[in-house]
Amino acid sequence: MSKQTQRKSMDYVKKEYKRTRTMPANWYLSSYEYKFNITHMQPFLKKLKEKKLVANKCSGCNRVFFPPRLVCGKCLVKPDRWVDIRDTARVATYAIAYLKDENSEVQEKPMVLVHHDGADTSSIAELAPGVDVKDTYISMPIKAHWKDNPEGGLMDIEYYDLMDDDAEDLNESK
Amino acid sequence: MDKVGIVGYNQVKCYSDANYGRYEMIFEAVRGAIDNAGLKKKDITTVISATNDYYDGRTISNCFTVEVGGGYMADESKVEMDGAHAMLYGLMRILSGNHKLAVIWGGSMPSCYPYHSARLYETDPTWERPNAYVNDITSSGFQMRAYMEKYGLSKEDIAKVAVKNKKNAAKNPLALEESQNPNISISDVLEAEIYADPVTELMVAPPCDSVAAVLLAPERQAVKITDKPVWITGVGWNQETYYLGERDLSQSTSMEHAAKAAYDMAGISNPRNDLDVAELFEVCAHEELIFTEALGLVEKGKGPQLNTEINGDFPINPSGGALGGNPPCATGLIRIIEAVKQIRGEAGQYQVGDVKRAVASGQIGMCAQNNILYVLEGEN
Ligand SMILES: [Zn+2]
Repeated sequence: MSKQTQRKSMDYVKKEYKRTRTMPANWYLSSYEYKFNITHMQPFLKKLKEKKLVANKCSGCNRVFFPPRLVCGKCLVKPDRWVDIRDTARVATYAIAYLKDENSEVQEKPMVLVHHDGADTSSIAELAPGVDVKDTYISMPIKAHWKDNPEGGLMDIEYYDLMDDDAEDLNESK
Repeated sequence: MDKVGIVGYNQVKCYSDANYGRYEMIFEAVRGAIDNAGLKKKDITTVISATNDYYDGRTISNCFTVEVGGGYMADESKVEMDGAHAMLYGLMRILSGNHKLAVIWGGSMPSCYPYHSARLYETDPTWERPNAYVNDITSSGFQMRAYMEKYGLSKEDIAKVAVKNKKNAAKNPLALEESQNPNISISDVLEAEIYADPVTELMVAPPCDSVAAVLLAPERQAVKITDKPVWITGVGWNQETYYLGERDLSQSTSMEHAAKAAYDMAGISNPRNDLDVAELFEVCAHEELIFTEALGLVEKGKGPQLNTEINGDFPINPSGGALGGNPPCATGLIRIIEAVKQIRGEAGQYQVGDVKRAVASGQIGMCAQNNILYVLEGEN
């Protein structure tokens, strides 16, 4: 490219690229169906119906996964043992979300990583509605709030209730 | 180029609606490849995947495939193209001298999303999308008609490729069941449902669910892992313009450039004599002919005259090619695996005699915008 052509194309950039116009268009990529083979998770799903929790354990590294995992990435094997865990937990960490409700009022809501007693991993969950954000702290004791009639699905735990610091469950789990 | 060897591979069978979760299918492919090579998780030093955020239904999708793909606490990255391009990245990682074993995997599950609709979003939102309904299939229609018109070819010439590949697929246990048809005829292909005239359903590589994995190692490690390493002796890749209107669709200029680069690297001067078999990623039957010509196996416009059956003059896609199953992001990697099987003599019913040197191709984009070609060779 000659110097002159190059200079001209730079002029083009300077002069003609100054104005842009937006174009309305959709970026809607239709539907997606997530497939999840439930065979491996049967023990977990069955116990949920009885309001009980199980985690799975990797024979390679002995880590206890809750929620249960299909594969332990560290060992590249399927965790093959099931262990009972409590429905009591601790707040591993939390963040506060600000969400608009139906009246467009901004509500503060703590989103938490919940660490179940007996597990090595945490899961994402919500705290009970009405929990004052100021009361949330790391390692705060909490307890699963079950649906009235659990169906053996992932939504059987609706949210986590706060436990009193002197709760009986808490002492048991120590 | 230092010698880099393919030391293991594994492919999950193609299904139109697999009874698998996405996570498990990747695990089966990768764990299978590691097991087949007699290796362990800790042997993996780098992992490159080929997936697509939309095909996985989540953004930065290699976040969630880390554990099953063998990338936990490893050097890991993703290529949002064909599996054959992921292998290029893996090859470069090995050539950097920093890695002893690369896992390359790719694939997706189109049973979870409308593949051909998603590809409508590949066109330009300003100039193309508002004007016409163009996706991979309609653009294949442009390409097929341009190719036939230029060289005076008939639809039968194109249908013959589909017949050959579907018959070959019948011998390949990993091909898509719906694509395996030992009794298919030219009229079956021509009378199948019209997808985008002149393209019919049976000319299109059917999107399906599968994941494939390949293991790469530098020479020192490769010879320790297997006594049948397959060496990558040449690679070339090339990309042409995005806009279909700027290209000559009756030929594949990018494949011509890719082939030249790969042949130069491998020291191939007469591809027809120097190569024994080709595994090509054809999105549509006519593309196989266009590639055959671009690879210099026949003159332009003479593609249909070459006998490319398993026992023909120059076998192309003995496995059934992409017409035997086209799992997005895996297909090019599967072509590489099939070429490796031919070299190692592991192709079973569709083995092409004694194969010393093979080529395998991958592609991405409408009308094969971007092509990549590998030259693979056995031990001697
Ligand atoms: Zn483990």
